[in-house]
Amino acid sequence: MMRARPLGSIHRGVAGFLVQRISSLYLAGFTIYLIGYLILRPVRDYGAWSAYFSSGAVRLAWGIFFASLLAHVWLGLRSIYMDYLHPTWLRFTVSLVTAFILIALAFWAAQILIRGVA
Amino acid sequence: MQQRTATRPVYLNLLLIRQPIGAIVSILHRITGAFLALLTPFALWALQASLESAPRFEQVRAMLSGGLGRAAVLLAVWLLVQHLYSGVRHLLIDIDVGVELHSARRSAWSTIIASVITVVLLGVWL
Repeated sequence: MMRARPLGSIHRGVAGFLVQRISSLYLAGFTIYLIGYLILRPVRDYGAWSAYFSSGAVRLAWGIFFASLLAHVWLGLRSIYMDYLHPTWLRFTVSLVTAFILIALAFWAAQILIRGVA
Repeated sequence: MQQRTATRPVYLNLLLIRQPIGAIVSILHRITGAFLALLTPFALWALQASLESAPRFEQVRAMLSGGLGRAAVLLAVWLLVQHLYSGVRHLLIDIDVGVELHSARRSAWSTIIASVITVVLLGVWL
């Protein structure tokens, strides 16, 4: 039966679909880079590890990684919530809590990456 | 007359349906994704601690290389590579690569086999 479509653009899902896929490409590339790097140049001590992280390019790559990760997590969890959490109040509450946690994680990741930049 | 409706099987129950391998890999993609999401705060904590100071770095390293820590790392690696491989499979299916039933089943099995091989190889290396 025909039902009134809730308010909002009918194209909004396309953006989420694309962000989920494009972020997955960066996450896959970064994961392969990181595993390859750690195999080729194992981190021996704190000095080597903090020297690696002192590079601006490394921090930028990690920053984009965390941004992609959190966007990807949001879209993935949203899909799970839409499929399995049916009462609107429950889906709304869980989504809201998830969103706040992901925003907090984003600030935390930014703080880790920015701290110590001379 | 007997009431038989009550005992009739309900085939919309996901636990009673015999799932094809594509469905199993699909639900595995979701489960591994959800667990990886839950692991994110722990990964951030480990990264922060490892960058804080030399003693903290050694503390994190000792924690991750101990018996329990090693098992946790390998489990996390399995979650990650299973999600990565089934994710690549879904992306390929998105662009119409391997959509035929035969190749879709083969690629679904391949993600599971490849993730187990990867974990074994990394387990030997770690």
